[in-house]
Amino acid sequence: MRLGFNFTLGDTYDMAQRLIAEGHIDYCEFLIDNFFCVDPDELAKAFDCPVGLHIMYSKFLEADRPTLVDFAARLRDYIDALNPIYVSDHILRFSHEGRAFFHLGEIDYAAEYESVRDKVVQWQEIVGQRIHFENYPSIMDGGLEAPAFFERLMKETGAGVLFDASNAVCAHRNCGTPFEAWRNVIAKAQHFHVAGYRQSLIEPFISLDTHAEALAPDTLAFLRNFRSVFDKPGATMTYERDDQIEFDDIVVDLKALRDLFGQPEETRHDLALTA
Amino acid sequence: MTLLSLPSRTDRDLYPALMSPQLNAKYPADHKAFVRIDVSLRIYWHTLFDICPELLELSGPDGMSIFRPFMAWAEEKKLAFDWSYYLWVYVWLRQSPFKERLLADDKYLRSIMAASAARWAILDRGRSRGIVIGCADTADLVIGWKCRNVRLGREIELIEPEEPLPAPSDLFGYFTLPSFELDIFPGWQSLAR
Ligand SMILES: [Fe+2]
Ligand SMILES: [Fe+2]
Repeated sequence: MRLGFNFTLGDTYDMAQRLIAEGHIDYCEFLIDNFFCVDPDELAKAFDCPVGLHIMYSKFLEADRPTLVDFAARLRDYIDALNPIYVSDHILRFSHEGRAFFHLGEIDYAAEYESVRDKVVQWQEIVGQRIHFENYPSIMDGGLEAPAFFERLMKETGAGVLFDASNAVCAHRNCGTPFEAWRNVIAKAQHFHVAGYRQSLIEPFISLDTHAEALAPDTLAFLRNFRSVFDKPGATMTYERDDQIEFDDIVVDLKALRDLFGQPEETRHDLALTA
Repeated sequence: MTLLSLPSRTDRDLYPALMSPQLNAKYPADHKAFVRIDVSLRIYWHTLFDICPELLELSGPDGMSIFRPFMAWAEEKKLAFDWSYYLWVYVWLRQSPFKERLLADDKYLRSIMAASAARWAILDRGRSRGIVIGCADTADLVIGWKCRNVRLGREIELIEPEEPLPAPSDLFGYFTLPSFELDIFPGWQSLAR
């Protein structure tokens, strides 16, 4: 399992560099549309490691085709310059009746399957690339339908799933989606996310995907119990941290992930070659 | 847990309430749906007051005397809650009982214009590099620049032009910049709702 860190804006640049230099991570995941005004070649030189691309605001379920074509044209420049390990996006609602959510919405997996599937097919075709779609940290009971939705989506569109393990932990805590229900999705997925979560301020408590805390014991237990389903040649896991960004705390979590998964084969192979 | 008459199986059932304190109040407080809506509403609150904390001097520490009536007004007007979110708060404040105190100190307007410029620079995915925001209440301009370098974030600039631009015809106006240079004035665009 290769480990990575999410790079969303310049203020964590030095820290990401240090994580690479000290061997805590093997790649960086760019929140790529935050950098659409940075020259692709400059971005390609930013880190001396492989990169993954994570799209935040394509809004491909809501945007019209010309907007998506223009977005994809710019994305393409970065794909060509950075040759990423993967390109990922989100199955999310950004607005309702033209009004923006500030806390993004989960789709209705049963009622919206066909229309989402068609949009996924179109979006991959416009980008000209297989895309890995991330699962949502479900709160409401509709989240019980997420595993079957993603399984079917992969089968019918050729898309991948960027499986966020702690989002699945939140969904498990909030609506009881069993970890076991994700087994086939995890087995087919190559790319993963993991992060901390916290509880809501008021009761009945719900768990929120906040990216601001240490990995929770139940997240680590989930990874441990499904270790062999997660780990596979080429697999990546991005540790996401967007708040309370303390180097030492992050290293503690990355070390826990290294202990769990071991050194990635790719690195071992490289070491064997140079030894 | 109280039985709920409103549909609340999926997140989608709650979409209209996610930006509506009034609709939130229709859900029993001991129900998960209430908490989920509350989580959403808190983000609208924090997006406003964490970025423009001086507004709390007007409202009092919980912000509610601004937040609740503004959100109700925004619902009536069907505001899109795009990057101009903060500017609309100013529009509302200007016709509220807070008007006099608001206009007595230009720090409120400066903070609000900077917040909207920053939000544009973070969230806009069009090809423009920068946005210039102007207001009929000041000759100053605020510019938001998108991230232009891997080591930087977005940047906000306050400009006091030697020769002021004509005032926008509405309270606020804006125009966007195709390069990282303020070298054009194509005229003011009005805010979209
Ligand atoms: Fe994500
Ligand atoms: Fe994630």
